[in-house]
Amino acid sequence: MMSSFLFRAMDTRAGIFLALMAAVIILVPAGNLLVPEGSPFHVPTYAVTLMGKYLTYALLALAVDLVWGYCGILSLGHAAFFALGGYAMGMYLMRQIGTRGVYGDPILPDFMVFLNWKELPWYWYGFDMFWFAALMVVLVPGLLAFVFGWFAFRSRVTGVYLSIITQALTYALLLAFFRNDMGFGGNNGLTDFKDILGFDIQADTTRAGLFAASGLALVLCFLLCRAITRSKLGKVLVAVRDAESRTRFLGYRVEHYKLFVWTLSAMMAGIAGALYVPQVGIINPGEFAPANSIEVVIWVAVGGRGTLVGAVLGAVLVNFAKTWFTAALPDIWLFALGGLFVVVTLFLPKGIVGTLSQGWSALRQRKVSADYEAGSDEPPAPPQSPSAPAKIHPKPAASRLPADAEAQPAE
Amino acid sequence: MSLARPILLLFALIAGVLAGPAVAQSDPDTLRPLINELADGKYDQTQKQIEALAATGDPAVAPALEALGEGDLYVRKSDGLVFITKKDGKGYKLTDPLTLETAGEAGRREVSKIKVNNKLRRVIRSALGSLTLRAPDPEVRRQAAEAIFKAQDPDGIEALDAALAAETDVGVRKVMEEARAAAVLNSGMDEAQKLDAVQTLSDMGNRDALSLLLATQASTEGAVRDAAGRAIVKIEKSIAAWDAAQNIWYGLSLGSVLLLAAIGLAITFGVMGVINMAHGEMVMIGAYTTFVVQELIRTSAPGLFDYSLFIALPLAFLVSGAVGVAIERGVIRWLYGRPLETLLATWGISLVLQQAVRSLFGPTNREVGNPDWMSGAFEIGQMTITYNRMWIIVFAMLVFTGLMLVLKKTPFGLYTRAVTQNRRMAASMGIRTPWVDALTFGLGSGIAGIAGVALSQIDNVSPNLGQGYIIDSFMVVVFGGVGNLWGTLVGAMTLGVVNKFLEPYAGAVLGKIFVLVFIILFIQKRPRGLFALKGRAVEA
Amino acid sequence: MARSNSLLYLDGVSVSFDGFKALNELSLTIAPGEMRAIIGPNGAGKTTMMDVITGKTRPDSGEVYFNGTVDLTGEDEASIAELGIGRKFQKPTVFESHTVLDNLELALKAPRGPFATLFHVIAQSEKKRLDYLLDLIRLGPKRGELAANLSHGQKQWLEIGMLLAQDPKLLLVDEPAAGMTDAETAETAELLKDIANDHSVVVVEHDMVFVRSLGVKVTVLHEGSVLAEGSLDHVSADERVVEVYLGR
Ligand SMILES: Nc1ncnc2c1ncn2[C@@H]1O[C@H](COP(=O)(O)OP(=O)(O)O)[C@@H](O)[C@H]1O
Ligand SMILES: [Mg+2]
Repeated sequence: MMSSFLFRAMDTRAGIFLALMAAVIILVPAGNLLVPEGSPFHVPTYAVTLMGKYLTYALLALAVDLVWGYCGILSLGHAAFFALGGYAMGMYLMRQIGTRGVYGDPILPDFMVFLNWKELPWYWYGFDMFWFAALMVVLVPGLLAFVFGWFAFRSRVTGVYLSIITQALTYALLLAFFRNDMGFGGNNGLTDFKDILGFDIQADTTRAGLFAASGLALVLCFLLCRAITRSKLGKVLVAVRDAESRTRFLGYRVEHYKLFVWTLSAMMAGIAGALYVPQVGIINPGEFAPANSIEVVIWVAVGGRGTLVGAVLGAVLVNFAKTWFTAALPDIWLFALGGLFVVVTLFLPKGIVGTLSQGWSALRQRKVSADYEAGSDEPPAPPQSPSAPAKIHPKPAASRLPADAEAQPAE
Repeated sequence: MSLARPILLLFALIAGVLAGPAVAQSDPDTLRPLINELADGKYDQTQKQIEALAATGDPAVAPALEALGEGDLYVRKSDGLVFITKKDGKGYKLTDPLTLETAGEAGRREVSKIKVNNKLRRVIRSALGSLTLRAPDPEVRRQAAEAIFKAQDPDGIEALDAALAAETDVGVRKVMEEARAAAVLNSGMDEAQKLDAVQTLSDMGNRDALSLLLATQASTEGAVRDAAGRAIVKIEKSIAAWDAAQNIWYGLSLGSVLLLAAIGLAITFGVMGVINMAHGEMVMIGAYTTFVVQELIRTSAPGLFDYSLFIALPLAFLVSGAVGVAIERGVIRWLYGRPLETLLATWGISLVLQQAVRSLFGPTNREVGNPDWMSGAFEIGQMTITYNRMWIIVFAMLVFTGLMLVLKKTPFGLYTRAVTQNRRMAASMGIRTPWVDALTFGLGSGIAGIAGVALSQIDNVSPNLGQGYIIDSFMVVVFGGVGNLWGTLVGAMTLGVVNKFLEPYAGAVLGKIFVLVFIILFIQKRPRGLFALKGRAVEA
Repeated sequence: MARSNSLLYLDGVSVSFDGFKALNELSLTIAPGEMRAIIGPNGAGKTTMMDVITGKTRPDSGEVYFNGTVDLTGEDEASIAELGIGRKFQKPTVFESHTVLDNLELALKAPRGPFATLFHVIAQSEKKRLDYLLDLIRLGPKRGELAANLSHGQKQWLEIGMLLAQDPKLLLVDEPAAGMTDAETAETAELLKDIANDHSVVVVEHDMVFVRSLGVKVTVLHEGSVLAEGSLDHVSADERVVEVYLGR
C-alpha cells in the first residue's frame, strides 16, 4: 500500500525535476567548497545562502500550492506558519548562544536580560534541545492550522471570506509578536545566532549544509505532495476546488479533506521557515506581514497553480527577479511586482508551467487525432449526443482553471 | 504653605496680562500715589494701604502687591518713588510698578526695601485674590477661583465671599462656590459649614472634587466624614458613567473612521462582490489630493486655507473615482466571477499605486494641516470632545446618508441594485451593465477618496496610509454583513466601541488582537456577517 | 403509509426564505423499491424538497425520515449521501477538470475518509464496475476526456452514471431530460426505468411525454405542497392541476 502510494509520485516530469534538484543540491555546495575561489565555477558563499533562501521559499510556495492550487483554499496567511516555524528554530538558535551573548547570561537570551526578566518563560523550555525545536517547527504551525481550520472549515467559511480571515490571523500574530512582553524579542525578533547543532552558523560548510538540507526538504515535500495529489485523495481535493457542494453530495466530508491538506501545508510552511531562519540569520515579526503571504500566492500563480513544479519554479523566478531588481532598479521593483500580479491573473491564469503543459498536450492531442483520421478506417464510435464535439477541442484559457492538464492514466 | 508662591506667581501673571492697556481701568496717576504711600508707615498702616489698593479693584496694582509680598518692592530714597526691583550685580534694576516699564538702575544704597511680615503677606495674598476675583474679564475671575480651589486656601474665603456677592456670571459663580467649599473644608470652620461644602463638592462631581473629598474623609470625623463618604460613592458612580460616555465617544469616533474607510468597500465588495485590495490606496489618493490642494492654497491663496477641505472633497472624489473607473475598465471587468483572481490583481494594483505615490511625493509623511475649525476641543460634563473627531463623526454620517440616498432614490442607485440582483435580467431590460459596473466602482472608489480627505486630518499622510486601513475595512464589511450598508454602519460602530472599551484593560495592540480574533470566531458562527442577506443570489 | 415501512417519509415539512414559503406543510411518502415522478410548475418547490431531503436546506418544521428510522433533518449532506441517498442536480454538475473516468471513480461506492482515499488503490472489481457504468451511460470512448468538454446531454448522463456508481438506495433525479433531444429523452427514460428495477427513484420532470413514458405514480406539487397524487391520467383529469398548469 505504502509503496504504491510512493510509487505514484514518480513519472517523467517528477523524474526531470528530481534529477535537476539532485544536480543543484550536489553542484552548488561543491562549487562553493571544492572549487577554488579564483575559478569561474566557484560559487561564492553569499550565493549559496541566497539560493538556499530561494529553496525555502520554494517549499513555502509548494505548501501554498497544495491548498490553493489543488483545494481552492486561497490562504493569505501562510507567512504566519512560515514565521512560526522560523521562530521555533530561532528559539533553538537563541538558546545555543549561551554565555556568548552581550550580557553573557547562560540561560536568558539578551533581550530578556535587557527587559529585566528574571527567568525563562515556560514556553521557552525545551528549545535548547534540537529535537524538541524540530518537533515544534511542525507542531506549532500544524496545531494552529488545525484549530483554525477546524473552526473555519466546519462552519463552511469559504472563498474570499476565508482568505480575509487568514489575513486577519496573520495580522493578529504580527501585532502580537511586535509586543515585547510576548517574550519573542518584540520588534527586533531573534538574531545574533552563533551555531546550529554545534556548527558555526557563519561557516561555509554550515551554509552549504543548510543549503543541501533545504534542497532535500524541498525534494521530500515535493514527493509527498506529488503522491498526495496523484492519489484518489488528490482527485477529491480537485473536486472540492471545482464543485465543493457536489463533492459533499457524493458523501465526502469536505471539511476533513480541507483540514488534512491545510494542516499538512502549514507544517510544510513551518519547515520552510525553520530552514530559512538559520540562513538569513534573523527572524522578526515582519515575517508575519500580510503582504508577505500575498506575495507567496503570486509566486505560485506565476509558476502555475495546481502544478507542483510550477510553484517551485515561480518562487525561484520571482525571487530571483526581486533580488536583481532591488539591487539594480530598487524603485522599479514594486511596479514590476504589482504589474506581475495583474498580468498573470489577466493573461496567464495557468501560470508558466500550466500554460506550457497545456500547449504541449494540445499538440499531442492534435497529433493523435491526426493519426486517427489518417490511419484508421474505423470511425470513432458515434457520440451519444448529436451536439457532442467529434474532435477534441481543448478549451482556451478561459475562466475555468483545469487541474494539472496532463492526462492521468488510470492505474 | 508651600503652595503660596506658585499661587502668587499665577496671580501676578494674570495681573500682568491684565496690566496691558486694553483692560486698564483707572489711569496710573490716581494709583501711583497709593503705591508710593506704601513706602512710609508701620506695618499696621501698610495693611490699611494694601487694603486701599485692593479696594480700587484695579488689576494694575497687582504686580506691585505681588512684588511687595516677595520683598521686591523698593523705594528710591532720592524722590520717594516706589519701584519693583531686581538685583543686578551690585545694584538693582528698577521697573515701574504700574506701567511695568524699565525705569533705570539704582545702586544698593540709593533704594530701601519696603518690609513686610507674615501677617502682611497674608493680607497681600488675599488682596491679590480678591483683586483678580473681581477682575472685569470673567475668564480671569474663573481662573482665580480655580487657583483657590486647587490651593484650598482658607484665606481665600473672605475674598470669595466678597466676590460672590458681586458675581453675576452663573458659570463663574459656580466655580467660586466650589472654590469656597474646597477652602472651607481645609479651614477650621464649623461642621454645618463643612457639610454644606461637602454637598457643594458632591454636586460638582468630578475627579478634583473626588480627591478633595477623599482627603476630607481621611482627615475628619463624624458627620462630615460620613457625608464625604456618601459623596465619594456618588461621585465615583458618576465618574464611571462619564468615563463610559467618553469611551463610547472615542469608540464612535474610531467607528466613524472605520466607517469612512469601509463604506466605499461596502459598495465595491458588498454590492458588486468585487474584492478590491487597492481600496486603501483610493483612500490614500484622497489624502494626497488634500495635500496637493493645501500646497496650492499655501502658495497662491493662503486666505482660503480654512476652506481647503471643502475644495479637496470634490477633487478627491473625482481623482479617486477616476482611478477607480480606470481600474474597473482596465482590469476588474475581465475578472468578474473570479473573486480570488480579482483579489490578487487588485493587490498588484495597490502595490503599483503605492509605489507611484512614493515616486511622486517621496516616501515620508506629508504635512496636511488642520483648518482652524478642525482644531481645539470643548467639554461636555466631564468629557472632552475635540473638534476634529466631532467633525469626522458628523462627516461620516453625512457620507453614509448621502450614499444611502444615492442608492435608494436615484435612477443610478436603482440600476446598481438591479444589476447586483440579476445582471442578465437588468441587461435585457436595457440597462447598460458595463456602464453601471464602472460607475458603481467609481462611486465606491470616490467615496474612499472622500474618506481620505477626512483621514488626512487625523492620520499621517504617507504612501502606506491605505495599508493601515485595508484589513480593518474588510473586517467591518464582513462583520456587518456583505451587501448591506446598514450592516457596515453597525459593524463599524460596534467594532470601534468594542475596541475602545478593550483598550483600557488590554492596551491598544492587544485590544486590536482581541477584536481580530473575535471577528475570526464570529465569521465561523455567522459566515455572512451580522446582517446577512439570504437567498439564492448569495449562494451563487 | 406508515413511517415504519416507508423508505422516505416527509411529514408537514415547511421551508421559508425571508417569509416566502417554498415548502408548505409538504407530506410525501415513498415506499421501498418505488419509482415516483414529481411534477409541478416552476417554483413549486420541487428542488427545495430535494434540498431538504439531502441536507442542503434545513426545514423550519416537519419530519423527514429515511428507512423509517433515520431522522434526516439532523444529518449533513455527506452522511445523508453515505446513508444511501444519491442526487442528480437540476443543473448538471460534474467535476469539469476531471476526466469522465475520474468523475465516476470519485462517485464509486468506497470508504470516504481522507486516509482511505489517500492510500486507495483501484481494485479489479472497481475497474469492472467502472467499465460497466461507462458502457451504460455510453461514454466509454470518452473515458479519458475532461468532463468540461462533454456536451450538455453527456454531462447529464455522466451525472446519472455517477449516481449509479454511488449505488444508493434512493435516487433523487432533478429534471434529467432538460436540454436533451427527443431521442435522448426517450433513452433517458429507458435508463431510469432500468435503474428503477433495483433502486427507489424520485424523478422531477417537466416534460409530460417523459413522465408518461415512465408510467409511474405521479405527485403534483404546487406552492410547496401536494396538490394531487395518482396516475398521470388521474392527475391530469384533476381540475386544479389543469388550472395550475394552464390557467392564470
Ligand atoms: N435559497 C433560496 N433563497 C430564496 N428563495 C429560494 C431559495 N431556494 C428556493 N427559493 C424559492 O423557492 C421557490 C421554490 O423553488 P424551487 O424548489 O427551485 O422550485 P422548482 O424546483 O419546483 O422549480 C422558488 O420561488 C424559489 O425562488
Ligand atoms: Mg427546480
